[in-house]
Amino acid sequence: MSAQKGRATVKERAELALNDEFLVKAVKFTTERLRNGKKNASAEHGNWDEWRERGRQIRLHTIAHLDYYLNLFVENARANGVHVHFADKGEDAVAIAMDIAQRKAAKTVVKSKSMVSEELHLNHALEQIGVEAIETDLGEYIIQLAGEMPSHIVIPAIHKNRYQIADLLSEVAGEKLEADTTVLAGFVRKKLREKFLEADIGMTGCNFAIAETGSMVLFENEGNARMVTTVPKTQITLMGMERIIPSFEDLEVMATLLPRSATGQKLTMYMSAITGPKRTADADGPEEMHIIIVDNGRSLQLGDPEFQELLNCIRCGACLNACPVYRHIGGHAYGSTYSGPIGAVLTPALNKNVAEWDDIANASSLCGACYEACPVKIPLHEMLIYLRRRKVETGNGKAVETAGMKGFAALTGSSAAMKAALAIGKIGQRLVVRGGEIRTKLGPLKGWNSYRVTPSLPRRSFRDRWEKLNREVDADRPQMAPDMKRRMEQIVKERGKGGGGHGGH
Amino acid sequence: MADINRQTGAAGGESERAAWLAEMERASRAKQETFMNGIAARLRHPRMTSKPAQPVRGAPDFWRTFDWTPEERVERFEANWRSVGGHTARAKDLAEAGRFIAERAQELSARIIVRQDQAELASLGLESSVPDAEVSVWNADEDVAWKARAAEADIGVVIADQALAYTGTVVVRSAPNKGRSVSLLPTVLFILIPAERLGTRLGEALIPMDEGGRDALPAGVHFITGPSRSSDIENDLTIGVHGPGVVYAVIIG
Repeated sequence: MSAQKGRATVKERAELALNDEFLVKAVKFTTERLRNGKKNASAEHGNWDEWRERGRQIRLHTIAHLDYYLNLFVENARANGVHVHFADKGEDAVAIAMDIAQRKAAKTVVKSKSMVSEELHLNHALEQIGVEAIETDLGEYIIQLAGEMPSHIVIPAIHKNRYQIADLLSEVAGEKLEADTTVLAGFVRKKLREKFLEADIGMTGCNFAIAETGSMVLFENEGNARMVTTVPKTQITLMGMERIIPSFEDLEVMATLLPRSATGQKLTMYMSAITGPKRTADADGPEEMHIIIVDNGRSLQLGDPEFQELLNCIRCGACLNACPVYRHIGGHAYGSTYSGPIGAVLTPALNKNVAEWDDIANASSLCGACYEACPVKIPLHEMLIYLRRRKVETGNGKAVETAGMKGFAALTGSSAAMKAALAIGKIGQRLVVRGGEIRTKLGPLKGWNSYRVTPSLPRRSFRDRWEKLNREVDADRPQMAPDMKRRMEQIVKERGKGGGGHGGH
Repeated sequence: MADINRQTGAAGGESERAAWLAEMERASRAKQETFMNGIAARLRHPRMTSKPAQPVRGAPDFWRTFDWTPEERVERFEANWRSVGGHTARAKDLAEAGRFIAERAQELSARIIVRQDQAELASLGLESSVPDAEVSVWNADEDVAWKARAAEADIGVVIADQALAYTGTVVVRSAPNKGRSVSLLPTVLFILIPAERLGTRLGEALIPMDEGGRDALPAGVHFITGPSRSSDIENDLTIGVHGPGVVYAVIIG
């Protein structure tokens, strides 16, 4: 499901991310700035917890009555002249969008930021039928040129510096562009303006959909979403089925929470409420407007007491900025469209993919910073625990971790075994120690070393010195399980032969 | 001027297209039932067809009575607008605002100005006070490709339907004589704000949108809070990425 599945696990991708010094610095800097911006903005606004509770109540109520509110939205949007479509799965949404594009004989589609479109990998599908899909958000445009995925929900090109960006844009320009922000942004403005004017279709996401009027609402800073909904003759909006709120009155709460939580702004530079295609006498706006309502795993959370609140998410990214794990490893390490704490829960939840839980749910320190940051109070840290519990309940618990913990209990419970294991460790570690630390994720330390670094064993350990004093007590300790003992002995024998030493992986 | 009314042709005639859209609509209506029934089943309740009581709606109660004096509103609006990189000016009447815009237009050597087709904006007299520029009036002539015209304009001039001091936001509603492009495509934008339209909270603009209902809404209601901006390159703030980079809020009265 992800473009970066080549590196199979979060751990491996995290290793990649951690080795990239610029990424680590850039992510820390940006998330720090956004986080401070949010803190200042929410403190300045005052009564923040009351607003959060308000936001939570509105989202809870809407989701609990989603059949009513979504249906009301659909009826009103139709009455406004919008063509509404439903997609159970990602492929269905892609098929509908492609059908519209083909019927229009479209050559180009200009897009403003849409997480749903990322989720569906729509650009790729459009390319296959010869339609050029152009991302117009500055950051999205840059990563599209680089052929990468967004690494942050709000600042997608967070991992690129201006020299890298200048190189990418110079290729498009056919001349060397200075690595100066103003020059680079100026070039993109000119280049994309041509694209806006010649595009057949404008494609957007949807921040909120107003049930009582059938309107869709977009928050943005650059003006590209306004371009996409003003200039092309056809507009397609991709909307997650849970984006609904009842009224514009409720939008005041969301407009108070979302920008402050995302970037620390009082409001984004543009907030647009689009109600149907252009009126007959209007001279701009789309003549034809489609809204594709996407399920793609969302309805699986409905009626689930532990995960229904996931659908309350307003996609602000505050949990990413607050998360110590995200700040350290960056978005790409999560290997999916949604990263950070929300991604760690949402990705497996949308996919009902148990194998994925194994991996992503562990990329969290369960510190609760995500919950504290969340403007609609989604208990993400609790959900991460539910995920871990479910994976164990369904028998998909990490066999390695379980065996590892059992083994650890047996070892620490028996000093003879401990001694034997330490001896094996001292031999075995020669293969894996780098600079006095063990960072390998192979063999017995696999799970443990994911986000921690085990110090290498000293040549003469405390345990060696303790040996004498403990000798008498040894007899009372439980013995190592016979099969484990056999395995350990086998390993020692293998090592003795000087073979492999790769822990059988 | 670029012709953006390109004919695609390949999709067949209008009637074929209408038939396809009608077919899509039939499919959509059929799907709608199973989609909504599926949601109701998951939520473990019978399909809800009447409006549920909404226990919490909109902003907290203490917020609804929050209001600034007219002087405070002007002061706070201007401070907010400037804090995001916008420019502000005061004018005692439209004539003074017209002179202010004409001066800026001449300083910038504007070639093309686009304004909305409204009486207040006509009374600015830009047609005569900026003789070097061509002043276009939105949608005044059927034969002009208006989106392209706005895209090549140096200056756009609009008048706010409402403004809100707490966030420093201007509200503009689309109409046949009020293009969405005019506040979006030109390089420089002037927004005139009659002082009596300047309120405090966002809710003052949003709640009437519910009250008027679907039929009363235009295709686009745009809340503008400053110049187009981005921090996507190394967190370095850039102004005017897609929309206008220089935005003047001129409060009148």
